[in-house]
Amino acid sequence: MLGYTLKRLLTLIPTLLVASILIFLFVHLIPGDPASILLGDSATPEEIASLSAHMGLDRPLWQQYLVWFKNVLHGDFGQSIFFKTPVLEVIADGAETSICLALMTMFWIVLIGIPVGIVSASFHGSWVDQITSGGAMLLASIPTFWLGLYLILIFSVGLGWFPSSGFPSISDEGGLSNLRYLILPSLTLAAPNAALIVRLVRASMLDVSREDHVRTARAKGLHPARVSIKHVFRNALIAVAAAFGFTFAALVSEAVVTETVFSLPGIGRLVVQSILRRDYPVIQGVILLIVLLYLVINLLVDLAYARLDPRVSLQ
Amino acid sequence: MTLRTTIAAVFRGRKLAALGAVWLCIITVAAIGAQFIAPFDPLEIDPIARLSEPGLPYLFGTDHFGRDTFSRAVYGARMALIIGIGSVLVALICGGLIGLLSAYFSTLGHFLMRIIDVLMAFPALLLALVLMTLLERSVINTVIVIGIVYATTTARIFFGMTLKLKNEVFIDAARCSGAGHGSILFRHILPNLWSPLLVQASFIFAFAQLQAAALDFLGLGLPPEVASWGNMLAEEKIYITRAPWLLMFPGALIILSVFSMNLVGDAMRDSIDPRFKNDIAGI
Amino acid sequence: MALLEINNLSIAVASQGQLLPVVTDCSFSVAAHETLGVVGESGCGKSLTALAIMGLLEGSQVNITSGSIVFDGRDLLQLRPAQRRAIMGNQMAMVFQEPMTSLNPVYRIGEQITEVLQQHRKITHRESRQRALELLDLVKIPHPQDRIDSYPHQLSGGQRQRVMIAIAMACEPALLIADEPTTALDVTVQKEVLDLMLDLQTRTGTSIILISHDLGVIAETCDEVAVMYRGRIIEKATTASLFANMAHPYTRGLLASIPTIDTDNDWLQAIPGRVPGIDEKVNGCPFHPRCAHTETPCTQTAPRLIDTHPHHAVRCHFAGEI
Repeated sequence: MLGYTLKRLLTLIPTLLVASILIFLFVHLIPGDPASILLGDSATPEEIASLSAHMGLDRPLWQQYLVWFKNVLHGDFGQSIFFKTPVLEVIADGAETSICLALMTMFWIVLIGIPVGIVSASFHGSWVDQITSGGAMLLASIPTFWLGLYLILIFSVGLGWFPSSGFPSISDEGGLSNLRYLILPSLTLAAPNAALIVRLVRASMLDVSREDHVRTARAKGLHPARVSIKHVFRNALIAVAAAFGFTFAALVSEAVVTETVFSLPGIGRLVVQSILRRDYPVIQGVILLIVLLYLVINLLVDLAYARLDPRVSLQ
Repeated sequence: MTLRTTIAAVFRGRKLAALGAVWLCIITVAAIGAQFIAPFDPLEIDPIARLSEPGLPYLFGTDHFGRDTFSRAVYGARMALIIGIGSVLVALICGGLIGLLSAYFSTLGHFLMRIIDVLMAFPALLLALVLMTLLERSVINTVIVIGIVYATTTARIFFGMTLKLKNEVFIDAARCSGAGHGSILFRHILPNLWSPLLVQASFIFAFAQLQAAALDFLGLGLPPEVASWGNMLAEEKIYITRAPWLLMFPGALIILSVFSMNLVGDAMRDSIDPRFKNDIAGI
Repeated sequence: MALLEINNLSIAVASQGQLLPVVTDCSFSVAAHETLGVVGESGCGKSLTALAIMGLLEGSQVNITSGSIVFDGRDLLQLRPAQRRAIMGNQMAMVFQEPMTSLNPVYRIGEQITEVLQQHRKITHRESRQRALELLDLVKIPHPQDRIDSYPHQLSGGQRQRVMIAIAMACEPALLIADEPTTALDVTVQKEVLDLMLDLQTRTGTSIILISHDLGVIAETCDEVAVMYRGRIIEKATTASLFANMAHPYTRGLLASIPTIDTDNDWLQAIPGRVPGIDEKVNGCPFHPRCAHTETPCTQTAPRLIDTHPHHAVRCHFAGEI
């Protein structure tokens, strides 16, 4: 197990290297000179020249990359052009919001998506199945921001149940009750992803329910609910876990939109604002971290996969 | 099997999917005949009738410039079709070719799939956002960017499906009878992938609508003057409390179209070769 | 009184809005401690009959359209689902054809055996594990102590089928249904598994319904035989009478298609043609398109089951003549 984990961590290195090259090239692909982009329109030629020299822009591209990558390895992602503070600090400021949002969203997805998927598959072909699986598909067809806007209109503006925007830190006044700021955003973000999980759980359970061992379980005289959960769902979980990496990617995409709709001070909105402000060091840093997170989550998924399926051996 | 019996087989017992197909036909008609259907010019401003409620003469009401929402929605259908078909073409041609060639020529494939795997580590919208910062906001660039984003998944899917076919006996038979690489790839392998390709296309079409709307909403998609459903939502979002219906119509159009396309894709997926069923990344 | 009595059982599969009959008017009985063999080519309704008896057709496209299944004095078709489940795996158990896929890959075999015990017996975890070890020993799995915590993929096909038999025998059922239990196994293992089942039968006195396409296997193991073709029983007799007075051309065809080493035949005699699909309609005797003795009545009226000898019935217009 430990050996396998280390080996997998080693295989992450080439992927990360390629990703870092792509991310590094991204700034250099932007039309124009990076130094003048970084300094903005008001910069004098002298300032641009001095920054160019400082950034090593006069050196060959591969040397520039090595310098940048060495700095990244030391945790130095550069300075934010807009905030004039280290990129890592800017990202850290948004981390709390994004992590809280992600956890609450996962809570809804698991709490709603999995049971509804099980019910949908267990009543396959009935009206219950048609409503739940059709409803899930409808939910996945709704633009995230549109759903968020109408949730704000109904539950914040109309009923006044929840705040419509922002998120004070849970370490500020109000403590954990500040999480109420995240209820609407997390529901918005959970909706399409829970819908995907419903469809996924349903499809995998239907696949498993056609397998021979399910007939064996029924021949034991077990209650249908027990067959559904212990035998069908447990085996379907293998396929669901395998698709979890993709769910994460979808989650990040939609978090960008959701945080913007609800004006949450998270990493997702930071990306959008940095793109609009052309704050390239921040964009580079955030994207590199998200790719790293994606790879780590996929590694965890693989490890979980081996725990779920005894036929898989970690060699 | 004729086209007619194929269509009948796909929609048998799936009333909702058939309704979805009907809706997509309506959208297509609206898109083609927009200038005949729309009662007003989508860009014509009527300052007196700003934010008017649905009724006559403005069926869906007007936006904050006083432009007719219904006419804009009709022209939006045209934009939706352009975005959908354009992204599908880009994704299928780029992704399909990469997948097909990578599976067939394994040395090249190993390298290309590695790159694809790296690109798949970038969440779709984020990749689109980053690519859009490099480019001008325009229809063609939006199409290209969304197409590239879905080319990665398409390449992966085609890679898997081609690998399955590559070792089939009929490919060996073709090779033994002297068929060249090009002939095997395009006359023996590709024809077996047409129907999964069509299913994949329908899901990409649906995803592309949502993706384009999200880009519009974030201000990084189509140019703001273009009448698209996403732009209509993006421009009017601050008026949601004053005129809630304003966002209702374009939103409903997006949802209905995406839902319809998903239903049709789902129905088609059930009728394709079961070997490929689990390869398709749909909803 | 017989342990199991099937009366006029008919089964149909729902397809595109219509019901296609797959088993028609099937009647037979199994006495306590006895073995009934059901034989026929694939697609003749043997397995569906077995699943119907076991109660595993629920929730599928296949429905029982008429008849009764009386087990131990109760009509199973009249029972509520909970009552039915109390019998399944308990008084009645089944072994399936595919040992490779019939066990759940994610649970250890010990868990899969104790599961059925805990379902039907008031028994502690420790006791059920002890019983599982005994069962593994009973089905001759070497080193049960080590094997009980194995996963199915760590076992060979023959061993998996032994585990399936252990699960089936766990609650000492009065009736064991074995659907082609050895077909998927290596020839050398087939005999061992059959012997094991017969051995368990002598120890526990369970009745067995053995489904097979192999008349040779049936001849060695069964007290009575029912031959099925296209969803109907076409010949039914004690094993001794069947082989002494074999009457139906189909049964004879099945026997002739078994390879023997003591005859000089250079080739195997196969029955010409194939079993017609369930959606194909055949008038008259369902076997007539493939029968060498077809005459006019065969193509017009379906024959009834006629007693030709004591304990021997045949469904053929020319029973006893050809």
